[in-house]
Amino acid sequence: MKSNLKKIAVDGVVTSNPTLKLVLGTCPTLALTTLAMNGIGMGAAVTFVLICSNVLVSLLRKAIPSQVRIPAFVLIIATFVTIVRLVLDKLLPDIYESLGLYLPLIVVNCIILARAESFASKNGVLASACDGLFMGIGFTLALTLMGAFREILGSGAIFGVKLWDFQIGFFSSSAGAFFTYALFIAVFSLVEGIVKTKTNKKQYAILNGPAPTVQSVKEDK
Amino acid sequence: MENNLFAYSSSPHAKKPRTTKNIMIDVCIALIPACVMAVVYFKLSAFLLIAVSLASAVASEFVYYLIMGKNFKQIATEFDFSSCVTGLLIAMVMGSQTPLYVPVFANVFAIVVVKLIFGGTGKNLVNPAIAGRVFAFISFTAVMASGWILPSISAINGGNSYDLETGATALTPILSSGSLPQLSNLDLFLGTGLVGCIGETCKVALIIGGVYLVIKRIINPLYPIIYVGVAGLFSVCLNGFDFTYFLPSILSGGLILGAIFMATDYVTTPNTFLGNVIYFAILGLVTTGLRVATGMEVVSFAILLMNLFVPLIDKFVYPKPFGYTKAKKS
Repeated sequence: MKSNLKKIAVDGVVTSNPTLKLVLGTCPTLALTTLAMNGIGMGAAVTFVLICSNVLVSLLRKAIPSQVRIPAFVLIIATFVTIVRLVLDKLLPDIYESLGLYLPLIVVNCIILARAESFASKNGVLASACDGLFMGIGFTLALTLMGAFREILGSGAIFGVKLWDFQIGFFSSSAGAFFTYALFIAVFSLVEGIVKTKTNKKQYAILNGPAPTVQSVKEDK
Repeated sequence: MENNLFAYSSSPHAKKPRTTKNIMIDVCIALIPACVMAVVYFKLSAFLLIAVSLASAVASEFVYYLIMGKNFKQIATEFDFSSCVTGLLIAMVMGSQTPLYVPVFANVFAIVVVKLIFGGTGKNLVNPAIAGRVFAFISFTAVMASGWILPSISAINGGNSYDLETGATALTPILSSGSLPQLSNLDLFLGTGLVGCIGETCKVALIIGGVYLVIKRIINPLYPIIYVGVAGLFSVCLNGFDFTYFLPSILSGGLILGAIFMATDYVTTPNTFLGNVIYFAILGLVTTGLRVATGMEVVSFAILLMNLFVPLIDKFVYPKPFGYTKAKKS
């Protein structure tokens, strides 16, 4: 269970990060990353819905006939989204305002539906809850970082705190959203690739001694 | 490879020592009159803009390739001067009051994001200079679109009595109130007493550069003429067939600069003659239409928009294969 948990965690935050690897939920990502705070608000809302819906779907996975699973999932998700909306409206009206339309749209958010379909309906309750948590963390991190990047460059502020007057309006515009998204995906894949080759080499070294270099291959021939 | 007796390239064999580099150097030369007039009109500020823009364009290309693991000598031999053209053009479309960091950002965006990430010269989807200008325009709207400074030559003459004027060019009165500008067509043509971006005020210098390009057979003179002509005629049509609008609407704003130097970029124009005619005609319509619809100077936006349609035009208008005859109807 413990190694399984670790795999779920790495999966959710890094190897299948919903935003940067699976490219799911692009609509709120592009629209809401103008401010870093939006990322946290949206991320928290999605994480909550994700955990709850994963748990419920996992509990009901034997009871839901596979022919009608999608409507059943949507119904479950919609229930939790309604709860989130009502709670946010009452407790944090500012965030509720800034998330606007994208809050009810969590119902059809690909991440939640994808996790319900591909993970929760096949795995146990605890694993599904963890999956929901780490997927949510991955989503929140990606959104917050992108939001911070765009907020610093586009409005010269971070989390609403003014840093300087210098602004590049491009990054606040929707063109900047696409640009930032592409940039983040590129950098993320780059870093992941570097880390992967390093760990692969390490594992290879443990099993077979030092990895072959160009030099050693030539000498072998 | 040096001792090869036979050339192993496939059929369109180059007959002239005409390379991308030579063409780009020629375009740079063609831009010199406009640069000189910019410095004459706007003095030091124009000179600084041009220098900073040129330096940042070249520097961003070098830095990008250095990061990508090429060595300095290799980059220097492969350097094809197209980033010089981009740098010069971006300087041309900045107002003289623009702070110097604006062209730097515009150039980095144009060279790195628009050109090099897509694979370098010849593989860019849109014209880098246009994209850089649009990037600067939407990023630094506040500093780029206000506080225009009259060229100093009119201050010496004492001819015109405007102070700092807002709004891009003499085009503003045509667009906002539908009236003709107070300046004469000759003033518009020479760029005297006219606010505007440093490179686009003096139309004579631009046209001299254009003629040089035509003589060097780098651009087909027909294309810019189609563009400018259609834009002017459409503007006449929109103003109730009043032909007094023709000259002011083509001579104000960045239309001439865009038509000669920006829209004619090889990479972002269709491959065939017919395709080019279609492209430039639609470009003219789009430019005037958007000018009227938005009340702003939109030559760069129009060209950017039409650049994206070039693959579409190329898809439907393609060259006739050599030796092709129409299939006989049986």
